[in-house]
Parts: sequence; structure tokens; C-alpha cells
Amino acid sequence: MSTTATLPGGPGRQSGQDILNLVLTVGLLPVLMAIVIIGTSLMSPYFLGWMNVVNILRMASFLAIIACGQAMVIIAGGFDLSVGAVVALASVVTAKAMAAAASAIGGPDILAIVIGIAAGLGSGLAVGLFNGLCVARLKVSGFVVTLGTMSATAGIGLLLTNGIPVYGMPKGFVQAIGRSQILGFPLAIYIALAVVLAMAFVQRRTLFGRYVYAIGGNQEAAVVSGVSIRRHLVGTYVLSGGLAATVGILLTALVGSGQASLGGDAMMLQSIAAAVIGGVSLRGGIGRVEVVAVAALFLTILGNALNLLHIDSRLQPIFLGLIMVLAVALDEFSRRRMSRV
Amino acid sequence: MSDADLAAPAKPAAIDARGSRILQGTGWARQLALPIALVLLLAGFGLADDRVLTTYNLLNIAQQTSYLALFAMAQMVVILTRGFDLSLGPTVSMVSVAAALAMAGIGGADANGIVAVLAAIAAGFALAAACGLFNGVVVSILGVSPLVATLGSMNIAIGVATTISDGRPVQGVPAAFADLFYRGSILGLPIAIVIAILVGGVLAFVLSRTVFGRSLYIIGTNPQAAAVAGIPVKRLLVYAYVLCSALAALGALMMTARTGSGEPNLGGTLSLQSIAAAVVGGTSLAGGRGGVGSAALGALFITILSNGMNLTRIDGYVQMIVLGAIVILGVVLDRLRLDGR
Repeated sequence: MSTTATLPGGPGRQSGQDILNLVLTVGLLPVLMAIVIIGTSLMSPYFLGWMNVVNILRMASFLAIIACGQAMVIIAGGFDLSVGAVVALASVVTAKAMAAAASAIGGPDILAIVIGIAAGLGSGLAVGLFNGLCVARLKVSGFVVTLGTMSATAGIGLLLTNGIPVYGMPKGFVQAIGRSQILGFPLAIYIALAVVLAMAFVQRRTLFGRYVYAIGGNQEAAVVSGVSIRRHLVGTYVLSGGLAATVGILLTALVGSGQASLGGDAMMLQSIAAAVIGGVSLRGGIGRVEVVAVAALFLTILGNALNLLHIDSRLQPIFLGLIMVLAVALDEFSRRRMSRV
Repeated sequence: MSDADLAAPAKPAAIDARGSRILQGTGWARQLALPIALVLLLAGFGLADDRVLTTYNLLNIAQQTSYLALFAMAQMVVILTRGFDLSLGPTVSMVSVAAALAMAGIGGADANGIVAVLAAIAAGFALAAACGLFNGVVVSILGVSPLVATLGSMNIAIGVATTISDGRPVQGVPAAFADLFYRGSILGLPIAIVIAILVGGVLAFVLSRTVFGRSLYIIGTNPQAAAVAGIPVKRLLVYAYVLCSALAALGALMMTARTGSGEPNLGGTLSLQSIAAAVVGGTSLAGGRGGVGSAALGALFITILSNGMNLTRIDGYVQMIVLGAIVILGVVLDRLRLDGR
């Protein structure tokens, strides 16, 4: 940073430099988030209302859980386009299995609930395993493989339901998981917190987490150091599929039916956006899940704020697109500056 | 038609030697795999349903292929440089809506619609060029990864397309426009096929016989080497993205003429379909490999597949699964081809 001090420039330029330096050191995310929160709370009385805050946190939890998995895959140098479709598939499979088990067994609800959740999670893990095996064993680009599984998974979800919502789940499931509250907050928020904390621990303190960084940072070096690339690559995709399935199950419990229209492309794109805005480098090897979770919160707040300010929903994608490009461009810019100094 | 032919014909001896090595390494069986698969596919569908192999349906397939081929060629140009364009589909929607709005705005002011058609062409290409310029500048000068850059512009283009059209189809496309881009025919061939063949021929010439085209292959094969060799990498990358968007705009005008109105959802899944067509045809996402022939073959393959599945009344959801499987199979084959060298 010593070069900036010697630069000649007027006061206006200096303050511009200051703002730039602030953004570069603190990061774009907290600055933007503060602007959005302060600006919206001044303009809309509903924004800081209890209902709205809980709603924002709930929606941010879903996005944060998916984005954590996406972040792990991207840090290892891959990509998972199938997460949105996995949400839909897990929702459908959970509802179908739970309804079937409830009518077949008849006994206590808890058994049917466990069977349904296991089936839903299993479907997500299976898609993740397929993605991971294709990427690691056949050495095919993650982007294209998950592009393929995205189409196939969405097709399977629609085929299973014919596009019609699946009902017949035990009431206990919806009440216990979808609508229950602890200390006034929905269960989904606690699950998201637990996932983010667990993932942060995994990233920092476990071999798997460290190896994922090593693989994404420099695959050749990781191989030479004796890291089993294949196993850990498969692991990241399985993790991503499992987390996406978790969100599918939580959403199913929230809406009370299994729907093939849950998740979808929008959720997949938002999870990538959250990871990227949260500082995960698409070149791999860099990124922290807790920052990604904050980015997911930011994206949810932004969408909520745009709605409350009555900004046309058709204009909203433009904001998302611009912020994403801006965040990554700034990241790239600060990295170049650092490497120059 | 093969990739190796297109990668080979550069004049310098060093590149010639590399080209001949590729030819020896790949072998004819692998080069002919896709054409043979095409014939088998067509024969199989022909046996399953006797409407498949009629002149009417074959002409129909050719016409549908020409749209997808244009988009696959557009995508191929940027994939050659290790990029891709996720904003292609929304660009198509945006151009369609803008062109229709331009024509509707001029309306009945001129008798035979020439001014309206020219205005539509100008508006469409201007918007597409702006989008391509944005992509190119963000990718090459700001150094943002193509995925994030075009994901951003994808959102922006969706926002623009739905905002200027109010989310509704735009009516008022004059007959002259439909005559020029859809209804006309030359030597008995529908105009769409003629345009696709002409554009494909010019693009093949540009890619294989001009400095610009050869430079794109070198940038994709080894960007550092290209920069060291004095190729203006950044400028050519911007050109590649603008060319991609311009080709997409041409396809968008043709599709608008076919539907007879500006559709804000016209692009839909085209981004992914065009990537799938290019990749299945043998364009490598690692950059530097591919050509007009591979893009056209990939487009033909996907069109025949979906046409045949439609005529044999295969469920639309199953078609999604098959398309996903084909995309994965395409990249796996591509990987095997690379390993074969």
C-alpha cells in the first residue's frame, strides 16, 4: 500500500482513494449490506418488523445451506449446477416415500418421517455421488457433468410426480420440522447455523477441509503431496448433493407437499452468486463458508428490500447481475494490487 | 468436418506438425463416431415411426437444426477461447423483444415495411453488440471468469427483456420481416437453412483462414503463449464475445420471424442447449478445439434426437433425462478422445 501514499492527487482524488481502500480492506460485502439495511429501514417501516426479519432469516437459511455445499465444490475447483434440481428431486422423493410409508406401516408417524427423510437425503447423496464419480474418475469438467445431471434430475423429479404436488405426508412432519419454532425462530435457522458452524470447523480443522483447499489451490502439488484427489473430489460433490437435499426436505416441510417446482435454476444461480460474492474464487483454493453464509443473507435481504421498495420484480435480476459482476471484478482488482505491491 | 482438420490448416511448420500428430492420434473411427450415431439414430426412429423419414419431416429437421446450429456456432466461438456465454439465451429473448418493439413502433408508417425491418435489424444487433461488449470487457479487461461475467449479463438481459416488453409477447411484426427471415426460400431451400449455411461457411473461413480465427485457437490452447507471441489477447477476446452475441442476434431475428411476435421467453433454455450442442459435437471446454462442423453436427444430433422422441411420443420429462445423459456422454467421449492422443 506504500505506493498510494506517494501518488500525487487532489483532495477529491484522495477521498476516492480512501473509499476504495476501505472497500478493499473491509470487503465490499459489509459495506453494501450496511447501505441496503440502513437505506431500506429508512424508506420502509415494514423492513425491520419481526415478521419480516424472521422471514428473511428463514429464506437466507435455505440459501446459506445450499451455498455452503456449492462453496466446497468450487473451492475444490469444480462446479455444481445440479443443486436446484436436487432440491426438487429430494422434495418429491421425501414426500412420496413418506406418504407411502405412512399408508403402508400405519404405526407411529415417526417411522414414516424417518423413512421419508432418509429417502430424500439418499436421493441427493446419490446425485452427488454420480457427479463426483464422473468428475473424479472420468476427469470430465464439473460444469458439463452437472449440467447434464441438472437436466436429468429435474426430469426424474417431474416424471415421478407428473408435475402435480405430492400430498399425504403425516401431519407431524409439517408441524415438527416445517412450522415448529424454538425461541421464536423457525427450526430452519438453527439447522443452517449448525451446518455453517460444522462446515467452518470442517474447513479449518479437518483433513478433508484442508485437502479440499490443497486440491483447489494446486492439484498437481496436492497429488505429489500424497492427497487422494479422487476421494475428496467425490466428497465435495456428495456433500453438496446432501446439503441441497436437506434444503429440499426443509422446504417440503414448510410448504406441506412435495413439489418438483421447488429449487430450480433460480436457487442454483443464487447459490453460485452467494459463493462468489462471499469471496470464493472460481479458480479454486480460496473461500470461507461463514462469509458465504453472510453473502447468502445479503442476497436475501437485497431481494426482500427490492420487494418492499416496490421495485419491479422484472428489474430485480439486473441488480443481482450487476452486484455479482462488481463483487468479482473488485476481488480480482484487489488481488492484482496485492500481487503488484 | 472433423475438429482436427479445422485445427490443422495453419501455415507455420510447427503448428502443421502438431496438426498431423492430432490426425494420427485420433483416428477415423473416433472422427466418424458422431456421424454414424446420427445415421443410426435417424434409422432407429424411422423404424419406430414412419413419419420420421418423410421429406416433409427431414426438411423440418433441417430447418430446426439451422437455428440451433447458429447458436451452437456462436457458443463455439467463445468456447474456443476457454470461455462460454450463459447470457446467450436471454440475449435471444432481449433481441427478439427489442426488434419486435422497433417494428411495432414504426408500425404502418411505411407501406412495405422496409424501414421497420431495417429498424428491427439495427435495434437487435445494437443490443446484442452491447451485451457482447459487456461480456468481453468484463472477461478480458476486468479479468472476471466467463461464468460469473455471463451469469451477471444473463440476469441483466433477462431483466431488460421482461422490462421493455412488460413480460408479454410483442405483436405488430410486419409481413415483410417474416418474409425475409422465415417464409422466403432460395432454390427451394427455406431461408433459415440458407442463412445457416452461409453463416457457417463464412465463419469456417474466418476461423481457419484469417489471423483473427487462428489467434482464437491459439488463445484457447495456451493464453500465455498467445500473449508472449504478440497476439492482442484482450482485444480479440472482446471481439469473440461480440461475434458470439451478434450470431445469437441473427438467430433471434430468425426465430422472431418464425413465431411472428417478440417473445420475452424465446431464449429459455437456449444457453444450455447451445453449450450442449457444441460440446456433444466435439468442441472442447478446455479451449482451442472445435469448429463450425462440430457445432453443426452437435446441433443436428440434438435436433434429430428431440424430433424423433417427439414423433415417437416419448414423454417430455423423459426427454429431459435423455438430454442430460447425452450431454454427460458427450463430454466423456471428448475426454476419451483427448486421452487417445
